[in-house]
Amino acid sequence: MIRLLPLLVMLSLVGSAGAGETNLVAQGWAAYRLGEFDRATRFFESAGPTDAAAVYGLATTWAWRRPKEDRGRAEQLYHEVIRLAPASEWAAWSWLGLARLQHVVPVGQEPNYPKVRAAYQAVIDRFPRHPASTEAFLQQQATLVAALNPNEARTALAAMEKFLAEQPQSPYVSAVYSLQAECFQTLGEPAAQLAASLRAWETTEVDPENPRSDAAGTYWKLATLAEFEAGDFATARKFYGKLIAEYPKDQRKFPAKQALARMAELESRLRAEGAPR
Amino acid sequence: MIKWLRNSAALLVVAGAYVWAVIVIGSHRVKESPPGMITLRIGHWQLESGVRDAFNELAAEYQKLHPNVRVVQDAIPESTYGQWVTTQLMGGTAPDLMQVGLGLPGPVWLGYFKRYFVPLSSVANQPNPYNAGTELEGVPLRQTYRDGLRAAYVPEIQEYMSLSLAQFGVRLMYNRDLLQKLTGRAEAPTELREFLAVCAQIKAHGLAPIAASKYHFWMWQGKVFDVLTYPALRQGDFNRDGSMGNDEVYAAFQAGLLSMQYPPYRASFQLMREITDHFQTGYTGLTRDEAVFLFAQQRAVFLATGTWDFRSLETQAKGVFEVGITDFPRPAATDPVYGEFVEGPAYEAAQFVGFPFGVTRTSRHPDVAVDFLLFLASQKQNERLNRIIGWIPAINGAAMDPALAKFEPQLEGVYGAMPLQLGGETSIKWMQLMSLYQINQISYDELARQYEPFYKERGLLDFQEARRDWRRALANNEQFLAGIRAAALLADAARTPGAWLKYRTLTLQWQLLPEIAQARQLRLVEEGPAGGAVAPYEYTAAVVEKIRHEVNR
Repeated sequence: MIRLLPLLVMLSLVGSAGAGETNLVAQGWAAYRLGEFDRATRFFESAGPTDAAAVYGLATTWAWRRPKEDRGRAEQLYHEVIRLAPASEWAAWSWLGLARLQHVVPVGQEPNYPKVRAAYQAVIDRFPRHPASTEAFLQQQATLVAALNPNEARTALAAMEKFLAEQPQSPYVSAVYSLQAECFQTLGEPAAQLAASLRAWETTEVDPENPRSDAAGTYWKLATLAEFEAGDFATARKFYGKLIAEYPKDQRKFPAKQALARMAELESRLRAEGAPR
Repeated sequence: MIKWLRNSAALLVVAGAYVWAVIVIGSHRVKESPPGMITLRIGHWQLESGVRDAFNELAAEYQKLHPNVRVVQDAIPESTYGQWVTTQLMGGTAPDLMQVGLGLPGPVWLGYFKRYFVPLSSVANQPNPYNAGTELEGVPLRQTYRDGLRAAYVPEIQEYMSLSLAQFGVRLMYNRDLLQKLTGRAEAPTELREFLAVCAQIKAHGLAPIAASKYHFWMWQGKVFDVLTYPALRQGDFNRDGSMGNDEVYAAFQAGLLSMQYPPYRASFQLMREITDHFQTGYTGLTRDEAVFLFAQQRAVFLATGTWDFRSLETQAKGVFEVGITDFPRPAATDPVYGEFVEGPAYEAAQFVGFPFGVTRTSRHPDVAVDFLLFLASQKQNERLNRIIGWIPAINGAAMDPALAKFEPQLEGVYGAMPLQLGGETSIKWMQLMSLYQINQISYDELARQYEPFYKERGLLDFQEARRDWRRALANNEQFLAGIRAAALLADAARTPGAWLKYRTLTLQWQLLPEIAQARQLRLVEEGPAGGAVAPYEYTAAVVEKIRHEVNR
């Protein structure tokens, strides 16, 4: 019996290996979320160098831990995940991880945007319609929008129109409309900016557990955009009204009431002045 | 044997004393906490007698429902609270419930929340069982709070980490007897000109009209001086979020839309001068206690105070003089100097909720600790707790002490729009000049002459540093989002939608759109607002013509 004991122990270990590795990965992420990166690294390393999920955890830890980050090592490990399981979920997120390393650069450096966009394109090409790919697409378009240049804005608008036509049910449509609104702002097209902002609001996802994700700020932005940029007083009134009614404790309630009075006053003055000849 | 006894006598006495002590302490402990009894420890920094009395009374009430639970308080002075928290948490000896937020920098508390406290999100989203039989029965806990429990939510963790038990307010307290004796008035005036006349009358009797200190100054600044700057919002809120960021003020200065000579800014400082002239001499060098002492000794008539101090001040005055509470004085709309800048009353955020407690991970009875916290946060018991202490309840529908009615926040009004410091050198310069202005060593014109060119020139460097901070924050956000993403990837099917929703919304809010906002901000600072000098809340000619066409159609 004593002779059989090591064998029984080995068999039990083999039997539980998969569960154990998963557990180690979960423990690694739990430590990561607590900011205990050394411990996270140990858990991920213990899961073994061939476990793609663990290697992905290790790569992400080296990429974003502060202090002692090692971007080179992170990059190497992301490539290792891609080599180990090229078609896996972890590979998709690793491709995005590589792109994010190019985009979120250390303080004092500026991202090389053509390279950043190419890195996002690599995710889009390899994993079409995967959440990592959609995120890559949005980040890619955001780099174009952030250039605040009409040409880039038009390029981004065309790409996003295509996205909306192909994936109208994507949970990211609100983000796409938000980016479109930014493009229209750059292009100086307030009516289209307001329309895109309204679509972003209509399709927005709300995290019900987050008390800070209220709509007061959105209502205010829509109302002021309608009032001052688009000259659409009906829409402005609607959203000032919603802010007052739904968020009576918000600091913008008083300015919203002022805005309603201001619009009425302008209309009254212009009515009195009559139509332009 | 005798020799041995003689030699060991001292040792035997010590041993005997030790055995006696063990028996006495042990029997005392057993008596206090018999087998099966759960002892909850609650640590806080509120040394006011009212708080301890309130906890004792509520603990006794709780024990009626749960006879096996007793509550023991650890009341720690504010000055050592941070060190105490650190040693208790790291040593694994922390109380079950701990008041959070004082004595340590924010990032340290954030780290402690992650490592040492139990997330309370599941509790926040469930009804409070102790609200049964009230109109809050069945309502999720967070919706029973006056602030929607916003103060307890830690965005960096995406969890509720504490439950607050009180709300706070700031008002002006006055010595009613002294006011009547010196001015013939029983009530303090709230209109500025009347108030200043009353102060002049008091001063003529050789007393300080207003007791103040560097601690009290911010109350006056926030409630009286800053609100005059509200019109600046229309000049500089470029991102149209309804509040003025320091970067926006800087951009507005660079674009020539704002300056130190902007009339509401000048007016704010003129009002500051007019009122602080009635503070006691040297107030900027005094501490909170020194101002309170002056008031308690009846050498001043007015004192700005928060609800947290109100009850103890009232107790000190009991039998000596009658205390009154009033709103801060403000200029009327007809005021010849300030009237044109007065657009409304001062807004007071309903979110000024505090007295927060978290449950520590080392608690041996976290479920009981949470239950006791829910008991304290129930409508009925929160009302009772705050009535004893003299604070405002944090829970909807919990009635406040009528004496505190004047502390009820003003939820509709104007707010300040003059954040002139960009951090770094500009902040240091501003503080230096403000100190000189406060003690009347320089005029406003001199302050403006010294500060504005420095602010415009040096501000760019501070602004760029702020951008570097934003880049650092971007990496921290990435770190955090990777953790959320992993949670979503590893979550079971039932939890996955919620986890992914959180991930998507945070990615959009923290990473995707801020990059564009930062780009617009930079362009604003470097090139000024688009379209020349049109302020963000000004109509363009095109909009006016469009509306003209519509109304005359």
